[in-house]
Amino acid sequence: MQETKRKYVIPGDVVAEGNLKPLVNVFRNGNSIIATRIGITESTQDGAKVIPLSGVYFPRANDIVIGKILDHSSLSWSIDINSCFLAHLPAQDVFGRDFSPAQDDMGRQLSSGDIIVARIAIFDRTRDPILTIQDNDMGKIPTGDLIKISPTRVPRLIGKRGSMIQTIEHATSTRITIGQNGIIVVSGKDRDGVNLAINAIHIVEIEAHTSNLTQRIKQLLNVPESEIENDDTQPSIEMNNTQTNDDEFNSNEADKEGVINSNGSK
Amino acid sequence: MVQNRSLIDEKGKRTDGRIIDELRDVKIEVGVINNADGSALIEFGKNKIIAAVYGPREVHPKHMALSDRSVVRCRYHMSPFSTDTRKSPAPSRRETEISKVIREALEPALILEDYPRAAIDIFIEVLQADGGSRCAGISAAAVALADAGINMRDMVSACAAGKVDDKIVIDINDTEDKEGGADMPVAYMPNLQKITLLQLDGELNSDEFNRCLEEAIRGCLKVHEIQRSSLMEKYFGNEKGVKE
Repeated sequence: MQETKRKYVIPGDVVAEGNLKPLVNVFRNGNSIIATRIGITESTQDGAKVIPLSGVYFPRANDIVIGKILDHSSLSWSIDINSCFLAHLPAQDVFGRDFSPAQDDMGRQLSSGDIIVARIAIFDRTRDPILTIQDNDMGKIPTGDLIKISPTRVPRLIGKRGSMIQTIEHATSTRITIGQNGIIVVSGKDRDGVNLAINAIHIVEIEAHTSNLTQRIKQLLNVPESEIENDDTQPSIEMNNTQTNDDEFNSNEADKEGVINSNGSK
Repeated sequence: MVQNRSLIDEKGKRTDGRIIDELRDVKIEVGVINNADGSALIEFGKNKIIAAVYGPREVHPKHMALSDRSVVRCRYHMSPFSTDTRKSPAPSRRETEISKVIREALEPALILEDYPRAAIDIFIEVLQADGGSRCAGISAAAVALADAGINMRDMVSACAAGKVDDKIVIDINDTEDKEGGADMPVAYMPNLQKITLLQLDGELNSDEFNRCLEEAIRGCLKVHEIQRSSLMEKYFGNEKGVKE
């Protein structure tokens, strides 16, 4: 594993000195790399970056987001993805190539108020993001409880290789769908389980930067000791998150990989 | 500006009991407004000011949006109860001007190119005023911007210096502002060592001006320490150590 050095910074603080590559949330000023956000630094041989601890969601291509349909034109739906830009889902993406605004009724597939999981297909800041639902487990979410957390806490909620979210899902028998934009849908048959899961998610949001959080969440959810050990060894299929030195935060590359129902089927 | 009475006594104490190079007590609390993306409450002596930041968010009206960077909108406002006689809540000429200079003091620190077609809104509400409220407002707004997670080149810290009884003093209060010789608010980016606001009300010769600027920057650095510790406190609590 690579050697990493971490420290707490506010904007303007020096992250590292020397000939390092500035990665994310940093810029170069002379010989120093300066932080642009409040967060935790991560300097490796590859470069220096800051993992931010605050901020609203700013879209990135390939992020998986949960959004709400606001309206539709004759060719696309406009979707609120909890950011400063409205996203668009082209009708062709849902109906296929032979979509015809005259023959197909867009309201039949998705109508205003529907919640969908989608991937940001194209986004380059000059135009609004374009979404797609042409992947596994994407599209309309029929039922569940919608909650919002800070998007900076999403990597922590997922945990190292999805450990945190799987713990919560197993212990509360719920299915949790997480969008990178901080919107989460919790669904399950058991009302108490759903409430418990929501509670746990809020605790993760508030205490994201503290250590041994996974252990404390396990205690809260009454996960027996034996299961704790099992959980740690369980490999996750869906999570492609890269490993970091400890489980406090996943690197930004990790959260790019995205998440969706960690227990599989739609 | 002509000074009529002495504002520094024979012991070297000013009207509020400070010595000439002493800052008023400054306290900053981060994240006081849940609905805002970032916020801060600053108590700068008797000043009590709330700053709230929203954004980057959608620009309304849409035609105001800029295609290559974010727009920054700033409102400095004094509450009707912030002064001893009621202040009309309608924005005055003075408030409009201060809103503009505060925006211009903060803009150089923000990396606006990261958020094209978006808006960043800054609201500064003075709850209690006691001279130097624009400096306190800038300091609070910078903390709120950092709390909102907007990309910044540096923090912005602000502090005034001025001339009272022909002496250069730091952090002018209300009485010294009204009756003293000169008042010079300065906003400063401490790490980049750049000045983003410099105003001067009164007369100074070039030597006094240089000393005054030096003192003001020294005040800014002190304010920066407080800004830093308040943000560290909010985000990292007692975990001040560096993890290797």
